[in-house]
Amino acid sequence: MTATPTTQTALRLAAITMSFGPIEVIKGVNLDIRAGERHAVIGPNGAGKSTLFNLISGMFAPTSGEIFLNGNSIAGLSPHLINRAGLARSFQITNIFHRMSVFENLRIGVLARHGVRYGLFRPVAGMRQVNEETAEVLARVGLESRGHDLAGDLTYSEQRALEIGMTLTTGAEVILLDEPTAGMSREETEKAIELIRTVTEGKTLLMVEHDMGVVFSLCDRVSVLVYGDIIATDTPERISANRAVQEAYLGEEAAS
Amino acid sequence: MMTMRNLLLLAVALALLVIVPPFLGLGWQNMLVNVLIASLFALAFNLLIGQAGLLSFGHAAYFGVGAFAALHLMRAIEGGLPFPTPLVPLAGAAAGLLIGLIAGYFATMRSGVYFALVTLAIAELFHSLAPQLEGVFGGESGISSMRMPWNGIVFGSMLEVYYLTLAWVLVCGLALWAYTRTPFGRLTLALRDNEQRVRFLGYSAHTAKVIIFTVSAMLTAVAGSLQAISIETANYSLFASNVSAQVVLQTFVGGSTVFFGPVIGATAFTLFSFLVSDLTRSWVFYQGLIFVLVMLYVPTGIGGVIQHHIHNRRQLDWRNMAGHYVLAFVGALLLTAGVVFLTETVAVLFGEDYAMVRHNAEGGLPPFELFGASWNPTGLLTWLLPIVLLIGGGALLIRARRRISTIWDRKGPSNATATEPLLAGGAK
Repeated sequence: MTATPTTQTALRLAAITMSFGPIEVIKGVNLDIRAGERHAVIGPNGAGKSTLFNLISGMFAPTSGEIFLNGNSIAGLSPHLINRAGLARSFQITNIFHRMSVFENLRIGVLARHGVRYGLFRPVAGMRQVNEETAEVLARVGLESRGHDLAGDLTYSEQRALEIGMTLTTGAEVILLDEPTAGMSREETEKAIELIRTVTEGKTLLMVEHDMGVVFSLCDRVSVLVYGDIIATDTPERISANRAVQEAYLGEEAAS
Repeated sequence: MMTMRNLLLLAVALALLVIVPPFLGLGWQNMLVNVLIASLFALAFNLLIGQAGLLSFGHAAYFGVGAFAALHLMRAIEGGLPFPTPLVPLAGAAAGLLIGLIAGYFATMRSGVYFALVTLAIAELFHSLAPQLEGVFGGESGISSMRMPWNGIVFGSMLEVYYLTLAWVLVCGLALWAYTRTPFGRLTLALRDNEQRVRFLGYSAHTAKVIIFTVSAMLTAVAGSLQAISIETANYSLFASNVSAQVVLQTFVGGSTVFFGPVIGATAFTLFSFLVSDLTRSWVFYQGLIFVLVMLYVPTGIGGVIQHHIHNRRQLDWRNMAGHYVLAFVGALLLTAGVVFLTETVAVLFGEDYAMVRHNAEGGLPPFELFGASWNPTGLLTWLLPIVLLIGGGALLIRARRRISTIWDRKGPSNATATEPLLAGGAK
């Protein structure tokens, strides 16, 4: 796995480990995410899925190993630099600006993409391009009618949609979604799947997901993470037929 | 519509600020200068706490830096430097920018309590170093200067100083208000709401916080230099923690969530100290009491209460409510009278003067003078009066408060949206 990353690889993890004190949570993960694919990471609770996302997105630095985004090393960079390099993530626990309007929640990311991060000399209301693009994202995630409401006043599933919308705004080509359908009803999940499908068109998606139904209808490939180690990566069909996976994960869920 | 009304209100306020002062006495003119300076100080401070959610306990540092920088420039002008006196606050702004940048770089590495403690420590550093640095801060006695004439303006009268201060405070206040409408102003609010998410959207939170801190320190320093121009002197006591605390009290009592809240607080406290500090030595105690009560019962401050009423003006049953508000006001008045009477009585009885009187009376408890009457320390009336006032006022206030809150609960849905311009957190 030491070959130089090819252009087809959007994201490459090479022998990533992560220890919290004496406990090794991620034990040498190798993973290649192809450009344009939709890839899911599944695994039992405590397998290290969220930790893996935190390592990729820069919340923690890995203890050892390398992470390449489009061939460039990003391991250990701060989150804002990783974002500028072209990777955006959502959060498992809704992580929005509660006391700002829905529109403004989205505009913060759009402004970042336009490079006016610290603009102090022009009113934001006059930035037509920025406001138009924000309105576009607002429409894409189906929140047109909620633009002026406070984000904290949205329903749970609307907040989840906003969460996905914010992830899109910075224009990243690699999108990480952390359990985007967690806590949703069947119907809301269906909608969320459609939303994720359309908004990640042409982008690379890596998502943590518990719901195998979501994984089957959305993803090209699945990796199974168990105790900090990836035990298999394959198409959803072959993963569900894999005996080791059934024992480690699917069997456990069926039994519970 | 709301904006139109606000503009009109601002225009009226502005006209009053320009037209009225020439008709006032020197004391009141001086008081207004202090109100303006305190207002700018509080507005600049509130950029941190109200908008970015960063509580600085050491803003005296930048106020003081601004004052000293201005005085140094004024001394240079005295020595012949051809620099226009009205632009002296620029020296304060430059010094505040520089010191704010350095201090902010370190302070904003941490958030919450740690941020507050670092800012406190930086101010204490200035406070303890200043008396020893003879050249920069003039040692313990500080430095002084004179306002030099410029272009025919003598700057000899308080009125001239007032207009100069007004101009600077208006420009800086306007700049702060414009700030809330820029991309960076919106980012500032986002930082307060959720610093972590800001990072994952491609912003360096530390860079952003350093810029916010620097802007706040710079405008605080302008306020400091305006004070230096006004009183023509400064010493190390400007760096004292009570200066830092004062701006915190004013901002919170005025309401840190509303843009003009700090101005309300600064005006109220300055006016209060002007009117009351000559009458009683307990005025600092009253100030503290007001702060505690506001924090306990109206944590959004005076500005927050006003804004809340404006937002809901159409839903409220004003006709029904007016009577209860009058009742609440009377109750509060009685309660205040009781507290003041009790405080002043205790202040007299445990004061040095009365100890002397008692000494002369060989340990007895002779009557004392208060509010133009004579009171017997062991008399029933002396203690019954405040108790009656406290109980009566308290009962009235509690009753009115209950009625008022029932009416508030009955009102229709609020028309408050995220786009009300008065609200710092929602201006679009």
